[in-house]
Amino acid sequence: MVLELKKARPVWQIMFSTHHTDVGLLYTVTGLAFLFMAGVLALMIRTHLFFPGQNFLISDSVTFNRIFTVHGLTMLFLFALPVANGIGNYLVPIMVRYKDMAYPKLNAVAFWMNPIGGALLWLGFSDTSWVSYAPYSVIRAPGPAADMMIFGLKILGISSILSSINFIVTIIKCKHPDLPLRRVPLFAWSMLTVSLMTIIAMPTYAAALIMLLTDRLGVSGFFNPSLGGDPIAYLHLFWFTFHPEVYIFLLPAIGMMYELIPRFSRKPLYSQGSGVFAFVMLGIIGFASWGHHMYSTGMDFTTKVVFMIGTLAAVPASGMHVFNFLATMWGGRIRFAAPMKFAVGGIALFFSAGAGGVLNSAMPLDFISHGTYWVVGHMHLFLTGTIAFGFVGMVYYMFPFITGRMYSEKLANVHFILMLWGTVQVFFTQHLLGLAGMARRIYDYPPEYTSWVELNQIATVGAWILGAGFVAFLANLLYYSSKGKEANMDDPFGLGGKYYYPYQAKNPHHASGY
Amino acid sequence: MKKIIAVSIIALMAIALVPQLHFAFAQESKTGAKQYINLRAEVWNEFFRMTTAAFTVGAVVSGTMIWLVWRFRESHPKNKTPTRWEGMDDPTTGSYGEGH
Repeated sequence: MVLELKKARPVWQIMFSTHHTDVGLLYTVTGLAFLFMAGVLALMIRTHLFFPGQNFLISDSVTFNRIFTVHGLTMLFLFALPVANGIGNYLVPIMVRYKDMAYPKLNAVAFWMNPIGGALLWLGFSDTSWVSYAPYSVIRAPGPAADMMIFGLKILGISSILSSINFIVTIIKCKHPDLPLRRVPLFAWSMLTVSLMTIIAMPTYAAALIMLLTDRLGVSGFFNPSLGGDPIAYLHLFWFTFHPEVYIFLLPAIGMMYELIPRFSRKPLYSQGSGVFAFVMLGIIGFASWGHHMYSTGMDFTTKVVFMIGTLAAVPASGMHVFNFLATMWGGRIRFAAPMKFAVGGIALFFSAGAGGVLNSAMPLDFISHGTYWVVGHMHLFLTGTIAFGFVGMVYYMFPFITGRMYSEKLANVHFILMLWGTVQVFFTQHLLGLAGMARRIYDYPPEYTSWVELNQIATVGAWILGAGFVAFLANLLYYSSKGKEANMDDPFGLGGKYYYPYQAKNPHHASGY
Repeated sequence: MKKIIAVSIIALMAIALVPQLHFAFAQESKTGAKQYINLRAEVWNEFFRMTTAAFTVGAVVSGTMIWLVWRFRESHPKNKTPTRWEGMDDPTTGSYGEGH
C-alpha cells in the first residue's frame, strides 16, 4: 500500500479507516509523536542533572518525579507498544496473505484507546514513577494524578489485549491455507509470541491496578500496611506482568531485524526454525524470571536461585538470535542503507545490554546494582540500543512503501551516527554512575561528589547528542515525506530482489489501487 | 578452529569456577581458628570475574560482527558479483534449496 502524500487523501479518511495499513499508519505516527514528546522530558531530566545543586530548569523534586514518571510511561506504553503494533498491523496480514486483520473494527477501537490513555497519563502527570510501587502510590501519591494514571494504564492495557487477540486470530486462523505456520515470516512469529505473552501477562497487572485503585479509595487494603496489606504483593503482581513485558517490547524489534537483515544481505535467512524456537523459548522464559527484580525484598535463598536460573535461561535463546543474524550476513552482499545500519547497530547494543542483564541477575551482584543508575543504564540500553534501533530501522524501511518517496540517506547517516554515539555515551556512563553508587530517581546530588558530577555531565552531553540524532530523524520524516524523490516501488533500496509488500496490500480507499 | 573454541570454553569455565573452590575450603579449619569470608570483597570479585567473562564473549561476538560488516559489504572488492541467492522471490522466508 502506498500513501501518496503528493496526492494526499483526506486525514479523516485515514483516521476513520479500519484497513490494516491505515490503522498501522495511525499507530506508527502516534507512537513516534509520543517518542518525541517523551524525548523532550528525558532531555529535561538529563540537563537538570548536569548542574548539581541548581534548580533553574526543574524547580522541585515533585516536578522531577512527575517528569521521569511520564517519560517512562510514555516511552513504554505510548511509543514501544504502538510502534510495534503499527508495523505489525502493516505487515502481518500481508505476511500471512490475508486481506486485513481478523477483526478490523476491533483493531481501530484498540488504536483509538491509545490517544485516550495517553491523554490521561499526560494530563494527570503522576509522580509515582512508572512502577507505581505501593505503599507510596496508595498512601501518599497526590490527587487525581495517580488515579488518572491508573485509568490511563487500564485503557492502554485493554487496548493491548484487544490488539493481541487480533494478531493471534489473524496469524493462526486467517493465514493462507498453503502457508504452514512454521514458514510464516519471523516478524509475524514475533508478533504472535508477544501477543500470547500479553494475553497471559496483562490481566495480572489489570487486577493489580484495580486493587491499587480500591486501596487508594480506602475500600480495600491489599497493599496498605496500615490495613494489614502487603506492598511486596504489588511487586509480585507488577513484575509478573512487566518482566514478560520486557520481552513484549523486545521481540518485535528482533522480528524487525529478521525482516531487514536477510533483505539487505541479499540472502535467505540462515535458520527459520531456530528463530521460531528462540522466540517461543523467550516467550516461556520471560515468565520465569520476574523475581530477579525483587532480590532485595527478603526472598529466601532457594527462590532467588530459581529466579536467577530462570533469568540466565534467556541467554541461550538470545544467543540463537544473534548467531542467526551473523550467520545470515555471512556470505551475503550487504547493502548498508539506513535500515541495515540501524539493524546492525541494534544487534551490537543488544549484546551489550544483555551482558549487563546477566550481571544483574546474579544474586550477589544485584546487591551492588539494585536501585542504582546501573539499572537505569541497563534498561535504557535495551530500550534505546536494541528496541529503538530496530524500530527506527524498520520505519526507514517502510518509509518508501508508506509515502511513495525516499528519505535522505545522508541525513539518515547523520541520524545513525548521532544515535549510536549518544546511546553509548549516555547509557554506558550510567552503568558507571551506578557502580559509583549514585541511586536512581534522585532529584539532586552534592557538587562535592566530583566523580558523580563528571559522569553525569558526560551522560548529559551524550543525551544532547542522542536528541540531536532524533531531530535529524524527525526532519527526515517530515521533509522527505513530501519533498523526497519518488521511490522506485518495485525496488526502492536497489537490492534486486522482489518485494511482495506493495503488490499484496490493496487499500480499498485508495484510488491508485495500492 | 575447534581447538580455539574448546580452549576458549575451558578458559571461561576456569574464570567462573576455579575461584569458587575457596568457598568450600573456607568451611575447613585445621587450626581451630574461625575463618570469615569478606562478603564485600567476594561480591566485587564476582563482579570482576563476570565482567571478564562478558567482555571476553563480547569481544569475540563484536569482533566477528565488525569483520562480517567489513568483509561482506557490497563495496568490498570480492563482493562485486551477485550472490547465488539474489533473484529469489522471497529471500526472507526462502531456504537454501529454494529458487534453484
